[in-house]
Amino acid sequence: MLTRTEGIVLKTQKYGEADLIATYLTSDKGIINAFAKSPRKTKSRFGSSLEPLTHAKISLWGKEQALPRITQSDIADSFRQIRENYRDFVNISKLVEILISLTPVGIPNKRLFSFFLNILHIVKSSEHELKDALHLITRIRLLAVIGYAPRLKGCGKCGEKSLDFYPDSGTTLCTKCAVTPDRAGKPFMRINNKVIHFYTHSIEWPINISNRLKPGRETLSGLSGLLDKHLTYLLSKKLRSSEFFSGTAAQFR
Amino acid sequence: MSGGVVENLIIELTRLPGIGRKTAQRLAFFIMGMPGEEALSMANAIIKIKEKARFCKHCFNITEDEVCSLCTDPRRNREKICVVEEPSNLIVIENTKIYNGLYHVLLGALSPIDGITPERLRINELVERVKEGNISEVIIATNPNTKGETTAQYISQVLKPAGVKVSRIAYGLPIGGDIEFADEVTLSKALEGRNEMK
Ligand SMILES: [Zn+2]
Ligand SMILES: [Zn+2]
Repeated sequence: MLTRTEGIVLKTQKYGEADLIATYLTSDKGIINAFAKSPRKTKSRFGSSLEPLTHAKISLWGKEQALPRITQSDIADSFRQIRENYRDFVNISKLVEILISLTPVGIPNKRLFSFFLNILHIVKSSEHELKDALHLITRIRLLAVIGYAPRLKGCGKCGEKSLDFYPDSGTTLCTKCAVTPDRAGKPFMRINNKVIHFYTHSIEWPINISNRLKPGRETLSGLSGLLDKHLTYLLSKKLRSSEFFSGTAAQFR
Repeated sequence: MSGGVVENLIIELTRLPGIGRKTAQRLAFFIMGMPGEEALSMANAIIKIKEKARFCKHCFNITEDEVCSLCTDPRRNREKICVVEEPSNLIVIENTKIYNGLYHVLLGALSPIDGITPERLRINELVERVKEGNISEVIIATNPNTKGETTAQYISQVLKPAGVKVSRIAYGLPIGGDIEFADEVTLSKALEGRNEMK
């Protein structure tokens, strides 16, 4: 059975001598894996259309459950500007890893596809003074779109004011709700109003005007650390790409 | 045809990259049909490579000695280093016979999503070599794909303080191909990297 769709290449994996398995976020089938014959040979007709982040119109042969074969792939937008910018690429890779880790395979999600495509267009052409802020906003927005955004507005149980974020609950909790006997000694992070303010606006404002948000360095690193803890708890492991935000690799992001 | 030595060999063969169960079965039956001494010499070659082969302490090429024959060859240009991802890439470049400098094998390429960080490659060793030696040019010959490009960008950044010339092999159209079939990225890269005709 031949099907046509459009998708964004999230990642590829070598398979055999010169073949690849590509993971796509598609417009109508959610995340799918597909097989490409010999794209790694220099004369392959796939050219560069299977490189990560490429938005392409693709034709697939075979059942989706049984690893369909890519028979045609035409580039709609290569997004090579992102791949050729180390800092952008590392940040978008983190976004891709979050997306792959928290989204089930094969469940259609039109909104997620348009969201991600829009993010790629924004990052590609952004002259945001604080690009780190833009990248952090995209992470927050992605978590909101897939339903895993942490709650930072008041206690998650009773709504009381609170500045203590509990990664194990994914929310801020007031002192009363946080110290019930079954929760004794759970670690938390103290946040401040600047972090809450920036976080709320990141979610609520249209992303194309987010460059009006001008968070300070401390707000950025505080919120970024909070999201990392939140994700580590959600996934029960550290994101692989987070290694790129520490050590020598961090110098050039 | 169950269990035992045949099954054991099939399982061992599937460890090789690109070998699925079917191919492994085919290979196992082929090995069974080989003359005894040929099969033994193959097994010995595997044992020997683990006993003797290692990475050159300067360039991480595969060698039987502490330093590889390319690094010790007095006829090589010692001011140039060509950076490749794998030892097999080095062999291909050597076969062109137009490069006469030294090499540096990274043993992989950067990939954020797979957690392949600079620390896991031989990048620090490259930086040390450039700092220590009289190097005039570093030629980055990593693969023309996303991982290779990310690696090239990172290396050019970390080498900046050393003040050495860093170049990247040209991206181009495959010889014998037709422009009509080139995709937009390959074609724009080929245009960017064009040469003046002399
Ligand atoms: Zn409460
Ligand atoms: Zn050597």
